[in-house]
Amino acid sequence: MSEVRLTINGQPTVAQSGQTILEAAQAAGIDIPVLCHHPALSSWGACRMCVVEVKGMRGLQTACTCPVADGMEVQTETESAVAVRKFVLQLLFSERNHYCMFCQMSGDCELQDAAYRYGLDHFTYPRPYQKLNVDASRKYFIMDHNRCILCTRCVRACSEIAANHTLDLRARGADSMIMADLDVPFGESSCVECGTCLQVCPTGALIDARSAYGGREKDVVHTETTCMQCSVGCTLDVVTRYNRLLRVDGVWGSEPNDGLLCVDGRFTPLYEERKRLTSPMVRKDGKLVETGWDEALAAVAAKLKEGGAEGLATCATTNEALGAFAGLLAKAKGEVGLLEPVAPALGYGVTARLSDILDADFIVVAGAQPLDYQRVVGYFIHRAADKGATVAVIADSENSMSKRAAMTVSYAEADKVAKAAAAAKKIVLVYSVGIKGKVIAAFRQLGDRLFALALSPGRNEKGATALGLKPIEPNGAKTQFFLMGEQSEDQGLLAKLNGAYTVVQASYVSALVEKADVVLPAPVWYERTGHVTDYSGTVKPVAEVLPKPATVRDDAEVLAALAAML
Amino acid sequence: MGEKITVATQWLESCAGCHMSFLDIDERIVELLKYVELSSSPITDMKHPPEEGVVVGILTGGIGNEDEAHEAKLMRERCKILIAMGDCAVTGGICTMRNFFDKEDVLRRGYIETERTVDGEIPVHEELTPLTDQVSGVGDVVPVDIYLPGCPPSADAIWYVLTELLAGRMPKLEGNVLKYGSDGG
Repeated sequence: MSEVRLTINGQPTVAQSGQTILEAAQAAGIDIPVLCHHPALSSWGACRMCVVEVKGMRGLQTACTCPVADGMEVQTETESAVAVRKFVLQLLFSERNHYCMFCQMSGDCELQDAAYRYGLDHFTYPRPYQKLNVDASRKYFIMDHNRCILCTRCVRACSEIAANHTLDLRARGADSMIMADLDVPFGESSCVECGTCLQVCPTGALIDARSAYGGREKDVVHTETTCMQCSVGCTLDVVTRYNRLLRVDGVWGSEPNDGLLCVDGRFTPLYEERKRLTSPMVRKDGKLVETGWDEALAAVAAKLKEGGAEGLATCATTNEALGAFAGLLAKAKGEVGLLEPVAPALGYGVTARLSDILDADFIVVAGAQPLDYQRVVGYFIHRAADKGATVAVIADSENSMSKRAAMTVSYAEADKVAKAAAAAKKIVLVYSVGIKGKVIAAFRQLGDRLFALALSPGRNEKGATALGLKPIEPNGAKTQFFLMGEQSEDQGLLAKLNGAYTVVQASYVSALVEKADVVLPAPVWYERTGHVTDYSGTVKPVAEVLPKPATVRDDAEVLAALAAML
Repeated sequence: MGEKITVATQWLESCAGCHMSFLDIDERIVELLKYVELSSSPITDMKHPPEEGVVVGILTGGIGNEDEAHEAKLMRERCKILIAMGDCAVTGGICTMRNFFDKEDVLRRGYIETERTVDGEIPVHEELTPLTDQVSGVGDVVPVDIYLPGCPPSADAIWYVLTELLAGRMPKLEGNVLKYGSDGG
């Protein structure tokens, strides 16, 4: 890259070659209006809002696609550029239904903002009043074609960021329409409901069913935190109003997910249907009854003092809580470990970051199902596949990654994949607990060309492992303390219970909770303060988005209080 | 200032919210009435602009029947400066929801098919004015001098437009006084 000197509105500006006029103007603090352009997406140049005059060039240029050149003289608000923008806006407003008074985006709409900027006080062209479809066939968000300006941001987000290629345009000219797959209802399409399209839509065409009409940007509170739904640890922007969860957005430019989320991070936690535990409970005469914290903690402390306790944790909580749990069990001279299995270390290769997937030319998925359990990783692999990387799946059962893979082989044939990968420059091995010794052995020869991405089922497995916690089985101890967080127990666990005195610290009612002798209510993801460790070992903050119910106490604090009682 | 400026208002196909917003200028109305004579309006005894005319005519609401079209023409004939006030007057607004359907379907849906209607019928009477085929803004029927969008326009926007006119300037709508829908409130 070399420096390019140009002037924008007479202001001398230094840009990098390869940058667009829009990027150079933004860096210089000059605002050029856009509609179809989005910084996270490729430039399209379709809406003509960003047209500018460049001395010596015929006609107007779209600033979002026109590269800068040395000596360029750009004017962004000339009479002809402004006239074209107003004309474009009038055409957009005349095409579909852009009546703001009953639109949930009014106040936060980029089309509306552009119209304000250019002083549109009425429509100059007739409106056709076409009755277009409102597609509410998906659970979490709605597509109202009447509000669509065909900017194709959603299409580009779907193909470039989620790499899912569900959305496209059909027909031509005024008949153009956003469609899913071969024009099927969105709910019946290949859409994975990651919501990236919703996040980039400039108008009210894509509607979040939960937060629509719930508050405009000026009314809401944004809190950045870390997703605790799987072990990836994506950065979330949680939007709230009046102590109510409205919406979750991705944060562009953030590690590790760069704005991309999945249905489990963005939508499902806001539709939680399990019954919340809000009060400590103690079993009396065979029945669990609500009680105060003092009585519940005294009962637990008394049992722990007897010794011979076992602590069994899921990773669905913070590093602080896991550390306090390990500390408590150490003080009680009991064994402590994890209920969830952990992906083994390979013993070779470089620890991969998610971004390594994007510039790898060969990706192996072995004993892992990222598209189902760590979906953002699956979408990153699809992005790499779109750029030409070879994807190979090693699995003995059906794997959803196979659909876009160049080859799928059984564990017995792992050597075949290793042989194919041998010619590659950069190999990423994405694996989980399902990986077999034979696979680990097969890739050893690749040495430091291999980047290893271990995905464990436990949400904060890396945090737990860093604390020295390892998977264990219930060992028949007479007191068993389960640290569950938001995780419901695995089906097999109940069968392994041996009638021990059972303490459960959890957020939701479950079969395990119903068998417990003492129940300690725990906060949920948006009520926690502390840290989790993401897939790469980076410690990330978890912020309190909303206050806990008054009768729920932080699990780390409760565990420390218990330790002090021993 | 010498003689008072005469102003007439009329509401057409609308919810009355724009007139409410006009009254929301609160105590400023006392100041306004020092310079302005409100000759006719839906909230005064005189309902139609006087034959001798007014300086400023304000129309709220869209045009969805022949009577509303007549009222718009009457106001245009009798005023020097016509303001289309509110989204319905500017674009037809929420009333244009019926433009997505045939007029006959809308009447049948409204008077006969509504879930709780028993033995409904579409009313026909010589005093009932026929619906136009589509609802439109005032500007589609008569020339408009000033468009003041908003659902409703804020009291401050209305105050701004009127005081600019009193000062002898054409109001320039931008910033907080140019808002669509309820974005200004």
